[in-house]
Amino acid sequence: MTDSDRDGVRPRVRVEDVGRRYDSPQGVVRALEGVDFDVDAGEFVCLVGPSGSGKTTLFRIIAGLEESTTGTVYLAGDPVEGPGPDLGLVFQEYHLFPWRTVSGNVGFGLEQQGVDRDRRERRVRDLLELVGLDGFAESYPRDLSGGMKQRVALARALAVDPDLLLMDEPFGAVDAQTKRMLQSELLDIWSETGKTILFVTHDVEEAVTLADRVIVMATDPGRVREVVEIGTDRPRSRSDASFGEYYERIMELIRA
Amino acid sequence: MAIEVGEGVDSDEGIDSGEDVEPSPFDVDARRGVRGAGGVVAFLALWWLVASTQPTYVLPTPPVVAETFVAEAASGAMLAALGSSIVHWVPGATVGTGLGIAAGVALGWSPYLDDATAPVVRVLRPVPPLALIGFAIAWLGINHAGAAFIIAVGAFWINFYAAYGGVEGVSDDLLDVARSLGVRGDLELIRSVVVPASLPEITTGIRTGIGRCWMLVVASEIFGVPGIGREILRASNNLRVDVVITYILVLSFMFLVVDTAFRALQRRALAWR
Repeated sequence: MTDSDRDGVRPRVRVEDVGRRYDSPQGVVRALEGVDFDVDAGEFVCLVGPSGSGKTTLFRIIAGLEESTTGTVYLAGDPVEGPGPDLGLVFQEYHLFPWRTVSGNVGFGLEQQGVDRDRRERRVRDLLELVGLDGFAESYPRDLSGGMKQRVALARALAVDPDLLLMDEPFGAVDAQTKRMLQSELLDIWSETGKTILFVTHDVEEAVTLADRVIVMATDPGRVREVVEIGTDRPRSRSDASFGEYYERIMELIRA
Repeated sequence: MAIEVGEGVDSDEGIDSGEDVEPSPFDVDARRGVRGAGGVVAFLALWWLVASTQPTYVLPTPPVVAETFVAEAASGAMLAALGSSIVHWVPGATVGTGLGIAAGVALGWSPYLDDATAPVVRVLRPVPPLALIGFAIAWLGINHAGAAFIIAVGAFWINFYAAYGGVEGVSDDLLDVARSLGVRGDLELIRSVVVPASLPEITTGIRTGIGRCWMLVVASEIFGVPGIGREILRASNNLRVDVVITYILVLSFMFLVVDTAFRALQRRALAWR
């Protein structure tokens, strides 16, 4: 990574006037319209919004899993033309490869890139340490808890060193306590790796805990309502006055 | 046999001292073994009872069959028949299984291939392998190759549909993840995700196919190729029911051996489940 990248001279992600329409028996559905924002290199951005605001559609378009009707998504300057190793995906349902061990899952992307065995094993070991799963390298996903599975999914996405980590409600399926733990671990990993993260969630508290900026979406058509910059230093405490203010403000924007 | 609670338990559930300890796998195996043996004894008794009221050419008693079995084994006829059947069973089952899986994966994966082949597949699917005996003879002759062909056809369809169903069931999300981790192209996706993800269905297909192939040994030898099936057919013509049962037992035994071996392989390959 060059210094100019790190300084964010150009945005890491540029979502330019993205729209998505579907034909349905009830007529045309405007899932997204005129969505336009940037994510800077090294930034942590959360995308919140009520259901039906097109969060997941936007996630899939940025990930290159779905095409937009209008507009373009640029990643490090190039238009996204499909999923690839420059984009790390983490889903709510983990989607681990059940036939591969933990280390097999984490090493999957490296195998695709033809990284030799020695380097691969070293990198997998480092990543498992990073996500706190050393000792589980030879376990199969079926033996892991939800939180552990999500750590594997995160390590697997990080393995190929993507330009952007794109996460869709990654902690939506774990219990509240695990969720807090995973959030603080994610922040540690973020500051350690300097990754750019775009994080979709419907949990406003989570967004205020994690993000540099929160993009609030609105429904019908799915669009950006407002972008809220969270100025509070990390680690953030839910009992802080400013935390509550941000929380209330975003909730209001969502309800409006 | 008295078994100490907790002894020989190879599970990692931890030690749970108490009255309601789960029976160890060994206990369960022992119990099933006893029940199974009881069933065998009851079956033999019933057979014997019925057979004793019938002439031998209708239904021989178990001792008569045992005697015939030993005689067939001692004369070398059994080994010769078995060897001959294996010579066409192995290539037939292998080729049919391989082609079936390949075709099932390809058509399950590609909607274009699937659409293009669907009408032909639907016409060919219900054709019983035995109905293709004319082709076996015309194309390959009255020989091992012809018999292998019949067996292969049977294995093909079972493996085809098992693999097809397995591939259809592979989650799109796993494919998306694989693409996002750098997998490019259909062949790479098939190798790295589609086949491993559908391995449970594929291996179940292989196992079912193996059983079907042993059944087809009889059909495949109907036009004169020597083997176990030929012995059964010839004995049937001579009303030698004791010989028929003898070779049925050989077939069952071979099925059991191959099936058990394959099941062990399958369990290893699917240890992740």
